[in-house]
Amino acid sequence: MKFDRFARRKYFSNGMAVLTGLAIVAIMVPLAAVIYETVLLGGSVFNVDLFTKGIPQPCTPLAGVTCQQGGLVVPIEGSILLMGLSALFSVPIGIGAAIFAVEYAGERKSARIVGIVADVLSGVPSIVAGAFIYALIVVYDPTIVFSTLSGSLALAVIMIPIVTRTCEEALRTVPNSVREAALALGISRWKTTLRIVLVSALPGIVTGVLLAVARAAGEAAPLLILLGNGCEHPLQGLSQEGCALPLWIYVGATSSSQNLVNLAWGAALLLLLLILVLSIASRLTLDRLARRMRGE
Amino acid sequence: MNKDPLADTGEPRGYDLEVRHLKDRAVRMGGWALGMVHDGWHAYDEGDLAAAQKVLDRAGPLDQFDEDMEHATIAFLVLRQPAAVDLRTAAGLLKSTTHLDRIGRLGFDMARITSSGPSKELSELRSLLQQMDDIVESMIHQTIEALNHDNVELARQLFTRDDAVDRMHRQANQLIIANLEKDPALVRRLAGDLLVARHFERIADNACKVGEKTIYALTGQRRSEYLPRHTTRPYVLEGPIPPSGGARG
Amino acid sequence: MEVLNLSAFYGGNRAIQDINLKIPDRKVTAIIGPSGCGKSTLIRCLNRLHETTPKARVDGSVFLDGEDLYKLDPTLVRRRVGMVFQKPNPFATMSIYNNVSAPLRFNGRPTREQMDAVVLRSLKHAALWDEVKDRVDSAATSLSGGQQQRLCIARALAADPEVLLMDEPCSALDPIATAKIEELIGQLKNDYTVVIVTHNMQQAARVSDFTAFLYLGKLIEFGPTVDVFEKPKEHLTESYITGRFG
Repeated sequence: MKFDRFARRKYFSNGMAVLTGLAIVAIMVPLAAVIYETVLLGGSVFNVDLFTKGIPQPCTPLAGVTCQQGGLVVPIEGSILLMGLSALFSVPIGIGAAIFAVEYAGERKSARIVGIVADVLSGVPSIVAGAFIYALIVVYDPTIVFSTLSGSLALAVIMIPIVTRTCEEALRTVPNSVREAALALGISRWKTTLRIVLVSALPGIVTGVLLAVARAAGEAAPLLILLGNGCEHPLQGLSQEGCALPLWIYVGATSSSQNLVNLAWGAALLLLLLILVLSIASRLTLDRLARRMRGE
Repeated sequence: MNKDPLADTGEPRGYDLEVRHLKDRAVRMGGWALGMVHDGWHAYDEGDLAAAQKVLDRAGPLDQFDEDMEHATIAFLVLRQPAAVDLRTAAGLLKSTTHLDRIGRLGFDMARITSSGPSKELSELRSLLQQMDDIVESMIHQTIEALNHDNVELARQLFTRDDAVDRMHRQANQLIIANLEKDPALVRRLAGDLLVARHFERIADNACKVGEKTIYALTGQRRSEYLPRHTTRPYVLEGPIPPSGGARG
Repeated sequence: MEVLNLSAFYGGNRAIQDINLKIPDRKVTAIIGPSGCGKSTLIRCLNRLHETTPKARVDGSVFLDGEDLYKLDPTLVRRRVGMVFQKPNPFATMSIYNNVSAPLRFNGRPTREQMDAVVLRSLKHAALWDEVKDRVDSAATSLSGGQQQRLCIARALAADPEVLLMDEPCSALDPIATAKIEELIGQLKNDYTVVIVTHNMQQAARVSDFTAFLYLGKLIEFGPTVDVFEKPKEHLTESYITGRFG
């Protein structure tokens, strides 16, 4: 009798271990597959030209016709501009909301409302954000609807809840003893918040911002609506049509010209690398900054 | 709070038990000292050398009592760091130990000057000394009672009795000196009686001191807060004592 | 410092009730009492820190040199009444020097010379100078618990307060660190009025000149420490200090 029960339990336990192992493999497979495909197809265009040349004429290699590879200068510049601009809009708002929630509303309902709003906002599909900005700007000034500016506004809308939530978390991790220590020295409330609490929470805040930027870098839907089609020529102004890597991936991948398709894969690989770098950077930052601040 | 923290639950709390043990020790020591006084006086009065020797042998245990009490009280003070009533009680017991030791020692001294054969002369003096013994033994008993049962009133009553003993001491002195002048042959006996009378006065005084410590422990009052200071003048200048009451000599 | 009819609330709960207390100048006053009796609440009312807790409320007045602190700007009040907490809380992101100079840097624009002078003086006053003089720029967190607490004391002193409040300053420390801080308190009273909350009665006895006993939010007894510990006037006080609480 005893032997039976013991054996059964052992088999069950081992069985579960195998199943969970399979689950891990199941997760890894799609990721590995995507990375593999992207590296394979995008790797062919990875050279210096990628970063120095603009979008080439559409062309498909046929017998006797060599196509220009071209480069992704414009989309890269566009992405950088977009990320910078959207960060400029979203970071102050996000941090401000987080400060309000943690420092000034404390346990009260208004603090929780900020959290709820952030959660809802983060659930809004990015295309809806894009449509929203479109509708807003069309009324205000239709000429600038398709521009880098409106694209960045839409990205900002997506970034704000991420920044808010992570900042809120970071601020909440700062122990109350720090605030009390500062207040007890006769330091005013707002100075305590800005110069002491915020500084203590900086690692977490920076992480949050990097994560938000990584997210924004990869968003395609709102850009499809709002950027227009400014990839073929160098960027002009903020209120002019713009370009970005995700947008180019769409345009290039759906093109009938082989060289444009290749470039699209190149953009995909670049984007993947960018997000990888940002993710690792945010991890490292949290770790390193936190340790440096603790004096180790 | 559900319970009133001051309600007397009948259970021992804080250092109740430890203080009780210390007091029990003091009570036992007091009983020992009382016995030495009682037997010492009777040995002297009846000239019983054997009885006197027995009293002399009780000095060793008395010293032991003294040391043990001191040790136990110091241990209580350092290990428990008591406050308020516990502190006052312990501090008081530390001093009372000395007084009880003195009391026992004075009985010892009486035994030590015993010479053989009772004295048939001077019945007035002998009965006066006997009276002193009665009062003094009763005072010792009273002060131990007061200490044992936290009785402030009982302790306070010691002071008037001490006054009576003082008066009797002066009386005895005068009787003795008068007799010395009359009959020098009785010198040895009378010299002893002089000492014994003085011993009784000292015993009464020490019993009062123990009483003072009991009052201090229970009320926090020191002697100067409830007894007026008096000046003592040499007996010689006082002249003969009035029959009863009168100023403290 | 004088407390007049002070009551403090957390929401609907009254934590301390009608406290009237004269805290003697340039002496150490200890506040003792069982857990939850309101000692910390009382002390936090003295530097107006209590009201920073959500739903907290204060009734009554606290006078310092004749001025009602509850009619002044709280931030300014806290510069005159400093506080040291139970768990040492130096600013972890700052060096020793920056911690001690924090009250200067955040409340004004001091010159380097001014800061140097104040840091030196405060660290000396807190009996920490000798131990850290060659490493004032190292992280505050590199110090031991006892040293961190002395750092917090130095920081509080750098603000040049009139009164120094200490909320169980030695609870989180080992006996040697505790002894050093108790000795320090004995020296501090030459220049500052010290109010110390402690749950350790022997510490109150060692360190203070006056003792206040609080129970269930009320002030039961106040007097010179010797008197309170030798012959307390109130039965409740005696029960507490002899350990006879039920």
